[in-house]
Amino acid sequence: MSVVAMLDEARAARRQKTLIAFNAATLRLGGKTIIENLDLEVRPGEFLCIVGASGCGKTTALRLAAGLHRPTSGAVTFDGEPITEPRREVAIVFQDYGKALLPWRTAAGNISLALEASRVPARERGARIEALLRKVGLPGHADKYPSEMSGGMQQRLQIARCLAQEPTTLLMDEPFGALDAMTRQGLQDEVLSLTHASQTTVIFVTHDLDEAIYLGDRVVGDLPRPRDQLATREHPEFLRLRRQLFDFIKATEH
Amino acid sequence: MNRAAILWRVASILVAAGLIAAWQLAANLRLVSPVFLPGPDRAWAALMRGFSNGDLAGKLIGTLEHMAYGWLAASIAGIALGALIGSSKMMRAYVAPSLEFLRPLPVSAIIPVAIAMLGLTRGMALFVIAFGAIWPIMLATIHGFAAVEPRLYEVARSLQMSRAAIIGKIALPSALPDILAGMRLSLTVALILSVVCEILAGLDGLGQWVLLSARAFRSADLFAGVILLGATGYLTSIAMSLVEQRLLAWQTAAR
Amino acid sequence: MTLDRARPLLLPLALTLAFELWARLTHLQSDSLAPPSAILAALAAALADLSIPIATRDTLFAAFTGLAIGSAIGLSLGIAFGISRPLDRLMEVTVEAIRPIPSIALLPIALIALGFGYRMEIVIVAFACVWPMLILTRSAVRSIEPRLMEMSRALRLSAPQRIAKIVIPAALPRIFVAFRLSAGIALIVAVTVEIAINPIGLGAGIMLAQQALRADLMLAYLLWIGVIGYALNILLIAAQRRLFGRAALAGGNP
Repeated sequence: MSVVAMLDEARAARRQKTLIAFNAATLRLGGKTIIENLDLEVRPGEFLCIVGASGCGKTTALRLAAGLHRPTSGAVTFDGEPITEPRREVAIVFQDYGKALLPWRTAAGNISLALEASRVPARERGARIEALLRKVGLPGHADKYPSEMSGGMQQRLQIARCLAQEPTTLLMDEPFGALDAMTRQGLQDEVLSLTHASQTTVIFVTHDLDEAIYLGDRVVGDLPRPRDQLATREHPEFLRLRRQLFDFIKATEH
Repeated sequence: MNRAAILWRVASILVAAGLIAAWQLAANLRLVSPVFLPGPDRAWAALMRGFSNGDLAGKLIGTLEHMAYGWLAASIAGIALGALIGSSKMMRAYVAPSLEFLRPLPVSAIIPVAIAMLGLTRGMALFVIAFGAIWPIMLATIHGFAAVEPRLYEVARSLQMSRAAIIGKIALPSALPDILAGMRLSLTVALILSVVCEILAGLDGLGQWVLLSARAFRSADLFAGVILLGATGYLTSIAMSLVEQRLLAWQTAAR
Repeated sequence: MTLDRARPLLLPLALTLAFELWARLTHLQSDSLAPPSAILAALAAALADLSIPIATRDTLFAAFTGLAIGSAIGLSLGIAFGISRPLDRLMEVTVEAIRPIPSIALLPIALIALGFGYRMEIVIVAFACVWPMLILTRSAVRSIEPRLMEMSRALRLSAPQRIAKIVIPAALPRIFVAFRLSAGIALIVAVTVEIAINPIGLGAGIMLAQQALRADLMLAYLLWIGVIGYALNILLIAAQRRLFGRAALAGGNP
């Protein structure tokens, strides 16, 4: 068997396994039931988009996967083991980037925080920080404070910090919700390229239908890759799926 | 500073100079008895005389020493206690209300208790100064620690940071603006209590200088001492502001 | 919940009880400490024989008179400096030179000019109260909605009319917060002057008790001073709530 065929087979085998699983997961907080009996399986390397109306619990599902909450009943597992607390291989990108960055540290300092937590030796940090800044498109901004950066730049910095954890899984909670349309589209493409190369598993929460279909593996499946902002969105399959999904969400809204 | 600001500053200095001139005039015309109101010329002469012949320098150092020891002790204890109380919700619930009750209390009322315990000594003064100076710092630290952005704690958990790292890298820097503001307020308290304790216990310091000058009706010396006290308050405050600007450079970057 | 209400009192009560027990068990004889029961007894006695009420009257008289004079001066200057930028800038150096002088430093000057008694204390309290009123009133006036000031010019109001009808009502909530702060300062300065040198009021009372080696009476005065300070603060907060409602409380510190 050729090397390529073996790799393809391995990749297909990996796709059958489950990385993160929700099994009848329920979460009650402060007397309110936020999630009830959620069943979901996330495969390794998959880009999964969770889309829905506001307040339907999608952010909470993400936070369960991040280990920030424990389910009231049912189970949430990572590689078969229940998630009891956050783990370094699972990085979470918050929507309110302003609050998730340390205002008193520069961009380099913020990325360094993740490296310090991972006990990366000091002499290695500089090079890694530079590489990460380049990866997210912020070269030369190492000495800027978050307050001196635009919203899009701050969100990219947060992504860089998350990537510094060298995660296998990236959880993104409506990361581009607070940004303007142009910045959003640029960042969408950047996230695709960043995660596709390293085969990172992504769970992406959004209320934006277009964004979910554009980015996701699971939600769509049959649209051609590579994505293109104009061509893909005009593809008839895109429009058909969009309509289908739209009707589905409308039906489940209460 | 741009040109307009410089001009205003000069004009402001001229106004102040004018007021000093008016003061001189009032003294020359003996509108108020020179026993009570010396002219600025005599006050200045007394200031110079005090430094060259008299022991004014020693007295100034005495007060500065009292302030420094008390304030430093208060800062260390205040930040430590404040961090302890402020970072624990349970502690805050039990302790904070009592602290709020104690806040408006005149802190100088502890002086007689200190005298009863330690006598009219330097130790009493240092205790009183430290006790008085601890409140602004501790209360500000508690507030700073309680107000840390919760999202940052979630980031810390996600990165699996140790408890020490969370306090040192997240809570403390976040609370630093409040802590520094509290330390600046404490400087004022430390100065006032130094003077009061020096007056009461006859300790070596500016408080004693002004009291003895008053008793002997040496008004020029008295005014020299008062001016020096004002200068001390002003300069220590400026020094603290400079430190704040240095440590909080990230705040000015935003503007 | 009754437990929630009682919680603030738990710590002080526990400490008081512990102190009482310890004092009784060790048969405490001290110049500086006394069991809480003895303190309360001394307080009751001093209230009954009118020594504390008279001292309270003296201290409050000096404090309030000084507060009235100082805040009137501070208020007028604050309004003047707040309305007129040029005036504010001209007086900047003078204000910054006199402000840092600790009010206590004026004690000897007031002493030789006025001797012991009310007048000297009132002068020092007044000096201390000018500055917080001035600074805070000035910033309150400056932060008045500029629209209101423009409107007053459009209506061609004279300066006194403008001050009375627009400036003062608009800035009043914050001015009251400044007044509350100054009242606290007035009490503290009054007591401090009495402790340092003036033979009237609560400060003198506590010093005399200490010199007579009456620990119980001394601590009774201490407790009473605390009660007065607390009561004054509570009264002013209640007045503020009555006059300005909850909205105003958001601006100042409780």
